[in-house]
Amino acid sequence: MGSKLQIDSILRPEVLVIGAGGAGLRCAAEICERRQDTSVVVVTKVYSPQKSHTAAAQGGMAAVDPNDPVDKVLYHMFDTWKGSDCSSDQNIIKKVCESAWEQILWLERRGMHFSRTEEGRIAKRPFGGHMLNFGEVKAFRACYEADRTGKGIMDTVWAESLKHGVVSLNQSVATELLFRNGRCIGAIVFMEQNGKFVAVLAKATVMATGGKTRMYQVSSNCRQNTGDGLALMLQAGLPVMDLEAVQFHPTGIVGPGILASEALRGEGGILRNKDDEPFMERYAPTAKDLAPRDLVSRCIMTEIREGRGCIHADHKLPHVWLDLRHLPEHIHKTRIQEVCSFFCRFVGVEPQSQLCPVTPTAHYQMGGAPTNEFGEVQRDAQQIVPGLYACGEFAAASLHGHNRLGTNSLLELITMGKVVGKRVSAYLDEAEDPGNLPQDAGQHIFGQFSDYLETQGRGRYSEIRDDLRILMTAKVGVFRNEQILREAIERLKELKERAGEIELTSKSLVMNQSLVQLWELHHLLDVSMVIASGALSRKESRGAHYREDYPERSSEFQYHTLAYMTEFGEVTLGRRPIDMSIFEARGEHYEKFGIIERKY
Amino acid sequence: MSQEYDLTLKVSRYNPDIRRSWIQVYRLKAGRILRFVDLFQKINDEQDSTLAWRSSCEHGQCGTCGIRINGKPLLSCELLVEDAVRLFKTQTFTVEPLTVAPVTRDLVIDMEKAYEQVHFVKPYIIQPAPEHPEGDEYRISPRELEAYVEATRCINCFCCVAACVTQKNYLGPNAVLANIVRLMDPREMAKQERMDILYSEQGTPRCRTARACSFVCPKEIDIAHFIASAKEGNLK
Repeated sequence: MGSKLQIDSILRPEVLVIGAGGAGLRCAAEICERRQDTSVVVVTKVYSPQKSHTAAAQGGMAAVDPNDPVDKVLYHMFDTWKGSDCSSDQNIIKKVCESAWEQILWLERRGMHFSRTEEGRIAKRPFGGHMLNFGEVKAFRACYEADRTGKGIMDTVWAESLKHGVVSLNQSVATELLFRNGRCIGAIVFMEQNGKFVAVLAKATVMATGGKTRMYQVSSNCRQNTGDGLALMLQAGLPVMDLEAVQFHPTGIVGPGILASEALRGEGGILRNKDDEPFMERYAPTAKDLAPRDLVSRCIMTEIREGRGCIHADHKLPHVWLDLRHLPEHIHKTRIQEVCSFFCRFVGVEPQSQLCPVTPTAHYQMGGAPTNEFGEVQRDAQQIVPGLYACGEFAAASLHGHNRLGTNSLLELITMGKVVGKRVSAYLDEAEDPGNLPQDAGQHIFGQFSDYLETQGRGRYSEIRDDLRILMTAKVGVFRNEQILREAIERLKELKERAGEIELTSKSLVMNQSLVQLWELHHLLDVSMVIASGALSRKESRGAHYREDYPERSSEFQYHTLAYMTEFGEVTLGRRPIDMSIFEARGEHYEKFGIIERKY
Repeated sequence: MSQEYDLTLKVSRYNPDIRRSWIQVYRLKAGRILRFVDLFQKINDEQDSTLAWRSSCEHGQCGTCGIRINGKPLLSCELLVEDAVRLFKTQTFTVEPLTVAPVTRDLVIDMEKAYEQVHFVKPYIIQPAPEHPEGDEYRISPRELEAYVEATRCINCFCCVAACVTQKNYLGPNAVLANIVRLMDPREMAKQERMDILYSEQGTPRCRTARACSFVCPKEIDIAHFIASAKEGNLK
């Protein structure tokens, strides 16, 4: 069987972008604008880049409009630092927040359909954790396209990529990164539609494969978000950073976990428990329902644990209510139309007259591949990997630390996509040709696929997938402690063993979804192991990482977690310092960027 | 209390390895609130791991899971069991791929060919309008935007293309709509090029105003209205 697997052809673009969502294509567009006629190949798991998960983002993209009389970039920087629980990097915060408006204009001038004010300007709405005067009152800072901002961004960068003639390998997966003398020179790509392997040799490779929360029972992520990019990094002996920081969005629609945007609360929606109490007032007297996501998720889970939640009749899952009944008709019809239709369609609720059932849903990874401020992937805290770049949710520069504010993700993927595009453009001018295909190229993935295709055994894919989801939700979820994390790590080893005993019914390479799903399952297991190990080692609570046995933040853990894992279960941990350059520069209000208290 | 249904799915299958097509019948029990994508997953999990189908976001935002159920093009992530039973007045469903592109395997089709039509109309701004004299963003009033904002909600699921009565030499409703968006977008200066695309042989002259596109659009966009306005030269 192994002999069947071979590299069918070789492509030689100047740049390879793995993952063609908002970040990947913004990066590709930047390269093409700076260096016309640069050949760029992008790889996407979906059948057109336009289907990427960026398109599912709803609420908005944060940017301080320089024409705003009250808002300031400094407030945005402070909110991001505070929101991250003092674990984002201040050089990145500065870079991203300062260029936010410029990126809004980049999108607007290329045709994004932002919602407008009466004066014809880009409209803005409030969002969780974004405030004026260092946390005093809510800020109108989120630029939006109704409740489909991600779609607006995706359509725009995708259309730009078409304009520049970017070539897309659709319904394809990058299966192995290629290196020569420590420099990344491309990847082996498997094209599902024809079952062929292509070697892509490029001067520069950009990883932008997005998020990975499909190992949780309730998740807002699309089917394709299975951590493939992170698994590729681990296989190559490279580190991943802060994976223990998983964001649970407070308001997933009960059952499928579909995101019900924070914009609903931005527009005035209120969370209520089974006794109708607007319970957020008790936990966060100032920010209330617009407190940051980690906090609101824990409040909801606490309400449920203490018996003030409800149980959904069909899905049998615990939840609280989101009340939108008091919002004016025109808000329902023009600003939150899409999201409200989800409640109607998927749980049969009419938000204008009925309460909406919501529960925390696994939503976003704050961590990812560690990069410096230029998006160059790091081998450790000091060195980079030449030729390899990362941006978007996949990467951790890190803007978000251990908790991300709503609307900062779209901002980050556009800004860092641009930053990486600029850096790559400069690198291309001096970089050497990647040379010939390395002798052993493809051996790793051919070995894996041969194993999958030849294994005879009793393991059942669906059982292992479901067991993994239940395990991660129960033991590596919103609340964690030493005992359950140790149990999780032991159980993950069992699951990995069982995954090695799955026998595939179809041995075809052409559009064989069970083959690709098995490859994905191994990635989910690998990444879950790193999440659990990082969570176990971080004996404190910080942002979205909450330890019941260590409920306070601790100065002992004032660093980023780096994790390496070349053999399953053998996780080696390292550290990367947190950049505090704003604080250290001692400019005006620098004291706000110290190790500050986090109250809302 | 949650009701269970006994369902029969008659699924169009195709195996490219042996170039064989057939109809396969699956019987399954399902709760009222399951979506058709959940049913396909259930079939994969419990009966047949080889059935190939496609989805991504699974809440009607990406348009990956377009399919025909009892002949009607729709998104399989948006169709709930109880709604399907009510809509089609049966618990037996034929499940077929959209007819817009050649079949790769089972319910998976080669969408690249279909997408070429959308690429052809250049969904970007071809020639941008000059900047506003005071800088920053181009100014567009809410009323101006309102005239075409519904058309920007299209997700290219190709349900309208499958439903359209014109199946040959036509750009298709979604591609025509993408062109209309930029015709109405005040930031686009290349209006003549867009008009040429609109009135080309593959453009609106091929539309027979059957309104099937509007009827099936999962986003409930009145595509036929936009196309009819364009035909009459009545876009504002």
